[in-house]
Amino acid sequence: MKMKIQHVSFLAFMFCIVSIGGSASTPSKSQLEGIAPGDEKYYKASPDTIKCKDGSKKFTKSQLNDDFCDCLDGTDEPGTSACPNGKFYCRNAGHVPLSLYSSRVNDGICDCCDGSDEYDGKEGVTLRKREVEAAKLAVVKEESELSKLKNEEKILKGLVQQLKERKEQIEKSEEKERLVKEKEEKEKKEAEEANVEKSNFVEEANSQEGKLAESTNEEKIEILENSQSDQDVIQDYDDSVGEIAHFHNSGNGGSLNSSAEQENGDYADRAAKTEEESSVTYETGRDHGTEVLPDHGTELEKYASGNTESLSREELGRLVASRWTGENTGQQTGGVDAANDDDHESHEERPKDVQDEEYQGYDSETEDDSQRDDDDTKDLVEDFGDEDHGDSSSPYKSESDDELDLSEKTTSNPSWLEKIQRTVRNILEVVNLFQTPVNTSEAAHVLKEYDESSAKLSEILSRISRLTKKLKHDFGPEKEFYSFYNKCFESKQNKYVYKICPFKQASQEEGHSTTRLGNWEKFGDSYRVMQFSNGDTCWNGPDRSLKVKLRCGLKNEVTDVEEPSRCEYEALLSTPALCLEEKLMQLQDKLDLMKKEQPQSHDEL
Amino acid sequence: MRTVYLYHLLYLLLLVAHLCSVSSWKREEFRNCNQTPFCKRARSRKPGSCSLIAADVAIADGDLIAKLIPKNPPLEEQEPIKPLILSLSVYQDGILRLKIDEDPSLDPPKKRFEVADVIVPEFLDKKLWLQRFSKETIDGDSEDSSVVYLSDGFEVVLRHDPFEVYVREKGGKRVVSLNSHGLFDFEQLRVKKEGEDWEERFKGNTDTRPYGPQSISFDVSFYGADFVYGIPEHATSLALKATRGPGVEESEPYRLFNLDVFEYIHDSPFGIYGSIPFMIAHGKARGTSGFFWLNAAEMQIDVLGSGWNAESSISLPSDQNRIDTLWMSEAGVVDAFFFVGPGPKDVVRQYISVTGAPALPQLFSTAYHQCRWNYRDEVDVEMLFPNPEEMQKKLAAKGRHMVTIVDPHMKRDESNHLHKEASNKGYYVKDATGKDFDGWCWPGSSSYPDMLNPEIKSWWAEKFSYENYIGSTPSLYIWNDMNEPSVFNGPELTMPRDALHYGSVEHRELHNAYGYYFHMATADGLVKRGDGKDRPFVLSRAFFSGSQRYGAVWTGDNTADWDHLRVSVPMILTLGLTGMTFSGADVGGYFGNPEPELLVRWYQVGAYYPFFRGHAHQDTKRREPWLFGERNTDLMREAIHVRYTLLPYFYTLFREANMSGIPVVRPLWMEFPADEATFSNDEAFMVGKSLLVQGVYTERAKKVSVYLPGRQSWYDLRTGTIYKGGVTHKLEVSEESIPAFQRAGTIIPRKYRFRRSSTQMVNDPYTLVIALNNSQAAEGELYIDDGKSFEFEQGAYIHRRFVFSVGKLTSLNIAPSAPGNSQFSSNCVVERIILLGHSPGPKNALIEPANRKAEIELGPLHLRGGNSPDVVTIRRPNVGIADDWTIKIL
Repeated sequence: MKMKIQHVSFLAFMFCIVSIGGSASTPSKSQLEGIAPGDEKYYKASPDTIKCKDGSKKFTKSQLNDDFCDCLDGTDEPGTSACPNGKFYCRNAGHVPLSLYSSRVNDGICDCCDGSDEYDGKEGVTLRKREVEAAKLAVVKEESELSKLKNEEKILKGLVQQLKERKEQIEKSEEKERLVKEKEEKEKKEAEEANVEKSNFVEEANSQEGKLAESTNEEKIEILENSQSDQDVIQDYDDSVGEIAHFHNSGNGGSLNSSAEQENGDYADRAAKTEEESSVTYETGRDHGTEVLPDHGTELEKYASGNTESLSREELGRLVASRWTGENTGQQTGGVDAANDDDHESHEERPKDVQDEEYQGYDSETEDDSQRDDDDTKDLVEDFGDEDHGDSSSPYKSESDDELDLSEKTTSNPSWLEKIQRTVRNILEVVNLFQTPVNTSEAAHVLKEYDESSAKLSEILSRISRLTKKLKHDFGPEKEFYSFYNKCFESKQNKYVYKICPFKQASQEEGHSTTRLGNWEKFGDSYRVMQFSNGDTCWNGPDRSLKVKLRCGLKNEVTDVEEPSRCEYEALLSTPALCLEEKLMQLQDKLDLMKKEQPQSHDEL
Repeated sequence: MRTVYLYHLLYLLLLVAHLCSVSSWKREEFRNCNQTPFCKRARSRKPGSCSLIAADVAIADGDLIAKLIPKNPPLEEQEPIKPLILSLSVYQDGILRLKIDEDPSLDPPKKRFEVADVIVPEFLDKKLWLQRFSKETIDGDSEDSSVVYLSDGFEVVLRHDPFEVYVREKGGKRVVSLNSHGLFDFEQLRVKKEGEDWEERFKGNTDTRPYGPQSISFDVSFYGADFVYGIPEHATSLALKATRGPGVEESEPYRLFNLDVFEYIHDSPFGIYGSIPFMIAHGKARGTSGFFWLNAAEMQIDVLGSGWNAESSISLPSDQNRIDTLWMSEAGVVDAFFFVGPGPKDVVRQYISVTGAPALPQLFSTAYHQCRWNYRDEVDVEMLFPNPEEMQKKLAAKGRHMVTIVDPHMKRDESNHLHKEASNKGYYVKDATGKDFDGWCWPGSSSYPDMLNPEIKSWWAEKFSYENYIGSTPSLYIWNDMNEPSVFNGPELTMPRDALHYGSVEHRELHNAYGYYFHMATADGLVKRGDGKDRPFVLSRAFFSGSQRYGAVWTGDNTADWDHLRVSVPMILTLGLTGMTFSGADVGGYFGNPEPELLVRWYQVGAYYPFFRGHAHQDTKRREPWLFGERNTDLMREAIHVRYTLLPYFYTLFREANMSGIPVVRPLWMEFPADEATFSNDEAFMVGKSLLVQGVYTERAKKVSVYLPGRQSWYDLRTGTIYKGGVTHKLEVSEESIPAFQRAGTIIPRKYRFRRSSTQMVNDPYTLVIALNNSQAAEGELYIDDGKSFEFEQGAYIHRRFVFSVGKLTSLNIAPSAPGNSQFSSNCVVERIILLGHSPGPKNALIEPANRKAEIELGPLHLRGGNSPDVVTIRRPNVGIADDWTIKIL
């Protein structure tokens, strides 16, 4: 009994949020859930009892949408799943309305774009659990990454230091060399001046110096080339690591499907190939003719008569396999490839109507009425859409996300650091500093390594600081708000676009002008509110601030923004993070309060 | 309502289909008994041929041991016969284990194979250590017999001369005996004599038989038995027909040899995909007993018709019905178990205590599976789902799961990574010369991993991790096909018997268990994949004793005809009796095209199979339930929906099986063991103890005879009409349903709401259907857990008993008070209580302790459209399914 009351009133509460106006009448708004607008008359017509549309029975108004099936045709339960034969009218706010089978109401799968078929919040509880689990894993992962990064930082710092020392030594000896050279040149000059009259000699000396300069240039080019190829090596190394991983994986996957080799390609392609190729192996040796070739018949006879010795082991295997596949074995020698080609041909040759029929058979999953098909097509489109754009409130990844991805790339490879260490060690061993003149190519190598290592070090440092900053945040008692970190939620209200980025800032945009509503402050009211403060100052008023009230919902979605008192904004964000069973109860209480406080809370700003 | 919610699993076999006529079963490709030397030899022996006597009887290590030696010492020119070692062990719950093997101290050429990993370790802990035995002289015997305690009321007799072992009621009647007809024969391993040829040739294949003849055979008799059952897998009747004896046509014995049989026929003792050498005997006079021979070599079993031994001089107690059987095996040892019953459920429980209880399946896998070889090809699939992960995610988003085939044969191709690894590590079964065995299967030239080796088993299991099985996701489960193993160019389409396994075990010794080990390794892999938190679903075609611990099986490649629909029922009942309760037959028949009527009838029966799957061969026309016009679609949807409404009941039954081994689907005699009319009935079956289902197995049937056992009445599931028990009713049938009845005195929990898959039904409210008996009482049970994890083993479940008596329904907790350290809760409520057999009149019911009232009205018996009779209904009591409460009719 208790449960039911809760359902119905929670439903009413959702109505508040989606801003559908209307006065309290009988039957009440919530009781009209799932009824098509054109059909409301039918339910409002008589004062006390309503007839089942099939004429079989009558039911009272209190039995309308009471989550118990009274009419076998579903007349009394348009808004619940109680009657198997019912239809649910989905308003699909902002979209084309739909008529859903009542089996889809509150089944945990969103079939209506506006989510109105999933109003009982139970699915939210599940979503939240999932979210919490994912967050916990992610936090553990990030924490371990952080400690790994710190470790790397330490090692790298040491390396950079060593390189720096070496670099300084090189610079020093170069300086020394330079001084020596200068001195030599000076002496030379003096000597030249002393022999100024022997001008022919001077010319020769100059031309020689020109040659020297030339050869130095050549060397430089070589260094550049070397460094280029060094990079190539690193690049190759990374690639090959990836390759090994892929081969390893796909090999195993393939093998489970008795499959064979894989080719390059992205992960998804490989996975698809695994399937494809497994089919190839299955097809091995089959042919597509529907006629039984004469020698096939002979083989069968031979086999039946027990005279199988004359068949090769392979012929026998093919022959027996052909019983299941219905293929003749006339072309035993045809290889896998040939069979495969045949297959593709035969697909192309299949009459189109056959294919169509089959597609229908396959994807209809079931349904033969066209509305259904549309429905599923919509599912597909919607699902793909979800992948691309995320929630319909289109939270997008903030810029920092890309950076994170980038830096992850540099640190995710476990052997990356080892490689640098090795390189540095090699350099330090190979480069003989006390050899003068300094080998310019080796010096360049050291310099390059130093530059790269310091760049990496600073990358790591910034990643560390970003992670530290992120992990310092309070993601809620169960880290249920963890996924909010890289999200912003938007809501368009008239000319304004409100953009709420938890843990960061909130703003109101109008065309090209942006007003800051506040910087992230904290969660309030036991994680039922997100507070943003210190926004742009109002003229003659306080700094702007924003309170985001959190509600249980199946999606992260900002449903309402108001400005109840000047420059103090309030928004409503529905999110599975708030879908706790006990919270559903509390919502109940809140709802009662809200009803009293704001009978017409849906007015636009 | 269209049926999208019904399709729970989507099987995809990515193969390309072709059309061609198919040929049918080829009897001559398979060996018959006469072509099988050990079988021919055993069958030709005369009663009393066994001359062994038991000597040196003693107690050792808690067992009764003895030596079997020839009664008359051999003549001087004859080779001496080595003694055999016999041991008798006794286990709790009336289980006798008899082992007979060669004497290891006499250096036999080879250790005979004892089947590993079938007996559960817990069983060994149940051994009762025998301290003493008594001697007794049985009438007319010149020698003593030794007697030991078996359980309260039962004892074991080892008769010394002639050697015989039997279980009897204390000081009284025999229950089960071995070698009472003197047919015991044990060919000991020996050195080849000069000029002797041990090779066996069949159809161009030569079995080198390097160890020569090593067969074992013996007779087993069941006393007070009217029928024997069990020893699957055969497409035949539930009560096993005699294979020899007066009036029996020339027949083959029941063969147990796992084979991939193309188009098996519907009534034959021929062995097909799986083997469980466990036989159950049942009779009105005595009750039930059982015999299990743990041996994985080829076995042949004769059921001997009364009078088969007319010429024999041996006389056995004749005051009770007796069924004699002859058991023959090519190799192995005698490791046999005698079960005393006395009831059918006792025997099943006793067998399960040796071989392990059926796994509790995931809830989703107890719903409908939609399958086809193939869907049509990867082009179709790729158009929609360019990558498998994406496809699984989409299915999973709607609460559906996917199952893919993983077979044991591995393509011998150097570019096949797994093949390379397996061959480098020496993981393949070897041929007689010690090279990797190379046989032909789907991918062509293939080898087979040796699953007897624990190292290879765990290597295989690792291959199912998400990292290793590319494209797999948590909603993907596995199907092991072809694991008999099927070898297209091998003798009888399987592996040569002289192939070699781990520890030099010959394939002949373990053949029937190969698929079992493979199934086990795959299920272990899925458990590992889920960190031990996700129950595996692995469907297997081959099976052996113990397979019930690892997953489901189905009856293989059946045919779309009425006979195959008919035989599916005894086949599934037999599997259930022998532990394999999670079983089903391909709905619609795998080969051929069912007429819509046959398909509808098959869905109507199949909806009650424990494993419920529609499947078809690639050459058949598409036959998904929505392809036969609106009327037929409605009929099939209705059939499938019946299953979905009953899922809470089915799941409760699966848990019962998991606790006790008692099968989900049972022969009538299991519930009515004293009613002789039920003993050979295999047209009707019980689902649990509360539902009786009668299939319709003929075309355009207008009437069907249904025998309703017991003294209580039965309520028609669709109409609520009441029928008297103990009577055969001739019922009119329509195309809409097959006869199904709820037994008076039972309560069945159901879920009436339609959903697109079972996953979405989890939070739905319950309907309790109470069928009152003639004292206006009823009771029933409900088991609920999270439907997927192993937490139930730690006590995370709800187990309720509902009792209705004296106008009051009570919900009681029957989970142990401290079941474990884990808990499961459910917010589900009861939305409706239906009272069948209650007179209309009361208007209200009082709910305690809530102290509120619920209305009583006349409401529909079911909500599936069409006509539904009105029945007394308590409307919206909305009591918590997990809570204690009472509801009193006012």
